[in-house]
Amino acid sequence: MPEPLIALRDVSRVYRRGADDVHALEHVSLTIAGGLFAALMGPSGSGKSTLLNLLSGIDRPSGGDVVVAGKRLNDLSEDALARWRSRHVGLIFQFYNLIPVLSALENVELPLLLTALDRRERLARARLALDVVGLGARAAHAPAELSGGEQQRVAIARAIVTDPDLIIADEPTGDLDARNADQILRLLLELSHELQKTVVMVTHDPRASEWVDIVFHLEKGVLKETYAGGAGKARAPATGGPP
Amino acid sequence: MSLPISYSVRNVRARLRRTSLTIAVIALAVVASAVFLALISSLQRTLVSTGSPANLVVLRKGSDNDGSSMLTLEAYQAIRFFDGIARNAEGQPIVSPEMVVQPTVRAVSGTRENVLARGVEPMALVVHDRVRIVAGRMFRPSSGEAVLGAGTVGRYQGARLGEELAFGRRRWRVVGIMEAAGSSFESEVWVDARELASDANRPFPYSGIRLRVAAGADRDALVRRIEDDPRYALEAKPETDYYAEQAKSSRSLYVLLVVLAVPVGIAAGLGAANTMFAAVQARTVEIGTLRALGFSRATILRAFLLESFGVAMVGFAVGAVGTLALAAGIGAVLGDIGFTAATFTTNLVALRVGAGDLAAAFLFAAAIGIIGGLLPAWRAARLRPVEALRKA
Repeated sequence: MPEPLIALRDVSRVYRRGADDVHALEHVSLTIAGGLFAALMGPSGSGKSTLLNLLSGIDRPSGGDVVVAGKRLNDLSEDALARWRSRHVGLIFQFYNLIPVLSALENVELPLLLTALDRRERLARARLALDVVGLGARAAHAPAELSGGEQQRVAIARAIVTDPDLIIADEPTGDLDARNADQILRLLLELSHELQKTVVMVTHDPRASEWVDIVFHLEKGVLKETYAGGAGKARAPATGGPP
Repeated sequence: MSLPISYSVRNVRARLRRTSLTIAVIALAVVASAVFLALISSLQRTLVSTGSPANLVVLRKGSDNDGSSMLTLEAYQAIRFFDGIARNAEGQPIVSPEMVVQPTVRAVSGTRENVLARGVEPMALVVHDRVRIVAGRMFRPSSGEAVLGAGTVGRYQGARLGEELAFGRRRWRVVGIMEAAGSSFESEVWVDARELASDANRPFPYSGIRLRVAAGADRDALVRRIEDDPRYALEAKPETDYYAEQAKSSRSLYVLLVVLAVPVGIAAGLGAANTMFAAVQARTVEIGTLRALGFSRATILRAFLLESFGVAMVGFAVGAVGTLALAAGIGAVLGDIGFTAATFTTNLVALRVGAGDLAAAFLFAAAIGIIGGLLPAWRAARLRPVEALRKA
């Protein structure tokens, strides 16, 4: 069993909304081993996205410990968290969040601007990442010139271009049709199983559980259930795909 | 590591049409400041270039200009033989006694303007060696003739070679046109000194004296000699100093500059701030994404400031072109601009927009962009990624 990449101990997150406290997460503890494809599932308001934000260091817990890639994130400042994210986390959003004025290639290059690489190396890596997601030919296109599925693949290229330990995906298929959704899930599975990336995904899509190794089911901020997904049961061959 | 400049440039370009009103207001601030600065510098250039460092102006003590001074014939006759005054080939002292009055003249447009009429003697052309008759000839004494400064030609009724200009109690036949390297002599009308004094009913024949200091002579000694003479109560100063003091009156234009250009500048700054607030609002998710990817607050701040600066620079470019076009248009349609100086005479100034005027307007526009963009950029940088992304 590999060392857990993610370890949450007794994590809570409370928001203040007006005079009320909203308990988005309550006493959640879990570990995720490196190289796994994990899904956070549950109804709306169950705390999935809050948990995802804590894992990626976009948000900080009200209580408990969040340790990712050997680093305790609780005490880092905003800018220190930003630096940490740029090295260890690749982010994928439901609505792709590409920068509209930059081309596909420039969007993928963006996280590399925070590294010491020179421009030639940055562009070479960005091209490679676009090739991995099958969009090498569309490098010069602006996001508005790409379909939803293509935009999400550009976003995946952007997430993997820095070779992070952890890839975080917030409803990556939520805005896509079934065919494009399958393509994205297959891509994420390949990243996990072939490149040994830990992929944590929030999803509403019931079919997605067939693609992942493990499912964490949340309800009302509480971790209710943990079970093996389709890929976990089969530990599917490298080409991936649901059984 | 920061975001590439192309990111800011492309964001400005993407919003160029929506930002056009802000750009227009910044352009207006640029035009207002550049035109006023150009007016001031053009006026100062005209006045300061009028004086010659080799000449002295002699006026009655306490008079700060020709128009309020008076001098007796006796004083003129005494002073012209003082030591240290240059002499011409015939051995005559290069001294020009002058009578200045400010009659009103009817302009072609129908309005009345005060013009500076200078009564002189032939020696005036020697003392004021940059004045040249470029058409016709010098007037003959006692014959009701006038020579016009080039700037006045066509501006006043009858102000053309061969026509008659009416001022004072008579009409003066125009027999010559003079140029003086753009100096304020080109705004004047020159006639015979005695004729002018009698027409204007002056008790004294002259307002003052202009004289040329001999090469190598002690100018300060000559000044002291004139000022210390107990008979006449006069003061003498270099002609360059005299016109520099006249130019001070143009400082009141700075007030106008502040009153007009600063409010437009503030409006432009608010416009820039509004534009950038709208940009921050519209791009909250984008900012959240950049922060989530790991870009620092300072990077976001810089990128948005750069954008605001970019908008201001587009405004400057539009304004600079507008200023040059306006100056060219004023020159072509209206000719020289009439300035009423402290003496109430009209100085005709060619409006010329210099590099310095545009440089000052550039700094003004840059300040508008940076100050206007500061608050929105600060707000963008303060956005927490988790809140910014929640808006998606």
